[in-house]
Amino acid sequence: MNYLVQACTDIGIAKRTNQDSFMAKVINTSSGRMMIAVMCDGMGGLEKGEVASATLVSAFNRWIEEVLVKMNTESLHENFIRQEWTNLILENNEKIKIYGKKCGVSLGTTVTAILLTDTLYYVVNVGDTRVYELSRQGQRIITKDHTVVHKEVEQGLITEEQAHMDPRRSVLLQCVGASEKVYPDFFFGVPIQNAVYMLCTDGFRHEILPEEIYHYLQPDNMINQEVMKNNILTLIELDKQRNERDNISVITVRTY
Amino acid sequence: MLEIGSLVDGKYRILREIGHGGMSIVYMAINEKVNKTWAIKEVRRDGVIDYEAVKQGLIVETDLLKKLKHAHLPSIVDVIENEDTFLIVMDYIEGNSLEKTLLEYGAQSQENVLDWAKQLCDVLGYLHSRTPAIIYRDLKPANIMLKPDGNIMVIDFGTAREYKEKNLADTTCLGTVGYAAPEQFGGKGQTDGRTDIYCLGATLYHLVTGLNPSEPPYEIKPIREVNPMLMEGLEKIIQKCTQRNPEQRYQSCAEMLYDLENIKQDNTFMKKQKIKMGTFIATAACSLLLCVSGISLNVMASQMAADHYENFINDAGKQPDYNEKISLYKQAVAVPNKAGEKEAYIGLIQCYRDNNNEHVFTIDEQAELTRLIKNNKENLMSNPQNYAEVCFETGKLIWYYYSYGNSQDNQITRMITAVDWFEDAYRNCNDNFAYKNMAEVYRDIGMFYRDININTVEASDKGIYKPFFENLKELLERVGSDEAESDMVRLELYEICRSALQQYATKFRGEDISQNELIVMHNQITTYVEKMYKALPDSKKTDIGSQGKDVQLLVSTYDLLPSTLESIQLAYSSQKEI
Repeated sequence: MNYLVQACTDIGIAKRTNQDSFMAKVINTSSGRMMIAVMCDGMGGLEKGEVASATLVSAFNRWIEEVLVKMNTESLHENFIRQEWTNLILENNEKIKIYGKKCGVSLGTTVTAILLTDTLYYVVNVGDTRVYELSRQGQRIITKDHTVVHKEVEQGLITEEQAHMDPRRSVLLQCVGASEKVYPDFFFGVPIQNAVYMLCTDGFRHEILPEEIYHYLQPDNMINQEVMKNNILTLIELDKQRNERDNISVITVRTY
Repeated sequence: MLEIGSLVDGKYRILREIGHGGMSIVYMAINEKVNKTWAIKEVRRDGVIDYEAVKQGLIVETDLLKKLKHAHLPSIVDVIENEDTFLIVMDYIEGNSLEKTLLEYGAQSQENVLDWAKQLCDVLGYLHSRTPAIIYRDLKPANIMLKPDGNIMVIDFGTAREYKEKNLADTTCLGTVGYAAPEQFGGKGQTDGRTDIYCLGATLYHLVTGLNPSEPPYEIKPIREVNPMLMEGLEKIIQKCTQRNPEQRYQSCAEMLYDLENIKQDNTFMKKQKIKMGTFIATAACSLLLCVSGISLNVMASQMAADHYENFINDAGKQPDYNEKISLYKQAVAVPNKAGEKEAYIGLIQCYRDNNNEHVFTIDEQAELTRLIKNNKENLMSNPQNYAEVCFETGKLIWYYYSYGNSQDNQITRMITAVDWFEDAYRNCNDNFAYKNMAEVYRDIGMFYRDININTVEASDKGIYKPFFENLKELLERVGSDEAESDMVRLELYEICRSALQQYATKFRGEDISQNELIVMHNQITTYVEKMYKALPDSKKTDIGSQGKDVQLLVSTYDLLPSTLESIQLAYSSQKEI
């Protein structure tokens, strides 16, 4: 599979720092080209959230260099990824916690990562950053938010609409660095050719409607990196005009 | 930061730091004239972004708090304002927080929780009845101190308010906000006394079930679903406290206290008591008679328990299947009155270690073992020697086998994780314990790695390398040559020493350790590693990637020995200290 990648971030209209961190890489392996992207939304006192998000992104980068590119990718499978990424996340949860204790602040980060191969996609998620899959058939969200409101929607206590307006919509059930224990969610599936995989922080999607996301970012409107960039920036501008106050970050991956 | 030993305001001598919060540090201090200890909370200008605003807030709040007087609240006796700091002098409270108690002993007994619940109702009711009403907003086990006399104190008053409201507008994580009630989020909802009642309910739930409501499954279930032995009355009270809608909760602490006081009638417990009283006299006569046979039955029962225990241990020893084996050892732990015996735990530890020769102690297994030990800590502690031994073996299992990740610093993470177990082993064993000294050495090496990053950042790492080196030397001498230890353990140890030599050679030099000492250690490691490497069949030396963890480690250590020697020589070659 081939990949076109484009990513953008914006500090937004209200914050003094951009606490989002992300990375995206395409690597050549014995079993074809692979693409890996990581999105982290940091949070924390004394504006240290970016330390948490950057820590996790670098950890993934190190894992790519030290494990993924060195291994025989033919033997890649769900359990291996599950174990490796769980370890990586738990280890960094401890590290960030210790750092926070020493500095007397509490900081943390969400994390969403996707590894796309010819045969499977592997997704891990903690928090409310998301992965979307936009294909000619429509769009769906691969991840499941770890938020209080999402939990309540699932329990049938409130509706999707209420959740959107709920003052607690930004309260996470867990995140890396500020939770005693972290339980990452994993999602595996078959990737679609000629689709767009989009990772974003919550700042990107609160004010933008799902239809708008699909309109701008669907595969037929994402034909080269230039166009991809323009489409993302258009949405970010729209988002800011609608008074989104958070940092905004997006990674898009067009498969072909 | 206040200097330890310094005198504040001419009367308070600072003794030590006892706590560290977001924007404050708490010290223990003594007023030498009257020989009384106090706690001093320091809020520093450089610890907060908007110091002036925080300070104004503190002045208002401390004024308010100074007027409070209640048996379960520490009183504020003095406020000292300086240009850069704001000091609050208050009662020093001995004891541990309930958070720590939960961490160490798990769920608490229903009787204790009920007792604390009444005290908490009392103190919250007192606060709510001030004019204007004071809402605490941040009740959680970490903010409740359990004194040695069994009573509780609510601490960390005041700063909670600003701290929370500032944070909640943004993305936050449940872990940092405790058990906040639904109306506390987003800054829009009205908080009142019923908010505290919600937090109190969540706190009681955590205490009596041992389950933290802000961890998966993130819900407050009826407590008898967790533990059927708990009272229905208490279940109802907790359910009522933690309703989402404040209207459906207790409307006041007094209302809740009434239910707490009358919980036993609720449970038809009292009625049963009365009936029992009536039959008591008749039974007493019978019991005298039965007493004799009772004793002999008791002896038989404990003999049977012992037999059961023995059987489980024996069966487990013979059982080849991993899962069966684990299950048998767990059943052995569960035999009545036998949870304090060490054999089952030691068996489990061995089983985790030898599992399929994978040399891996997984995260799940670690959680399982920790839970088992923690839940039975009280039983194990009836013979501290047993507890110490179990801790020591668990520490070693983590140190050498824990699979916490595959990145480079996995080894260090393992050592750090093991520190607490060795500390517990060291603290609880008596001098006859064969491994007392080993526990200390392991603990100190682990602590070295835990603190090293911070120490170097703060440039306070001087003087720590020499003891570290001595510890490595000791460990290498004691364990390195012990053929009875498994290859994996010895290999890990060689690698720890080798990497320390390579990484800290210049530091060792800086603390007057001679090059010769380092070379001697290097030679020792080389001898051991070469011996093992030579014993390895050639077929295993190729295609290392597909070999087991032990072979991979052996080969990588072996390969790095020459460059380690170079690092040592380099460190000592330059004229000046690096």
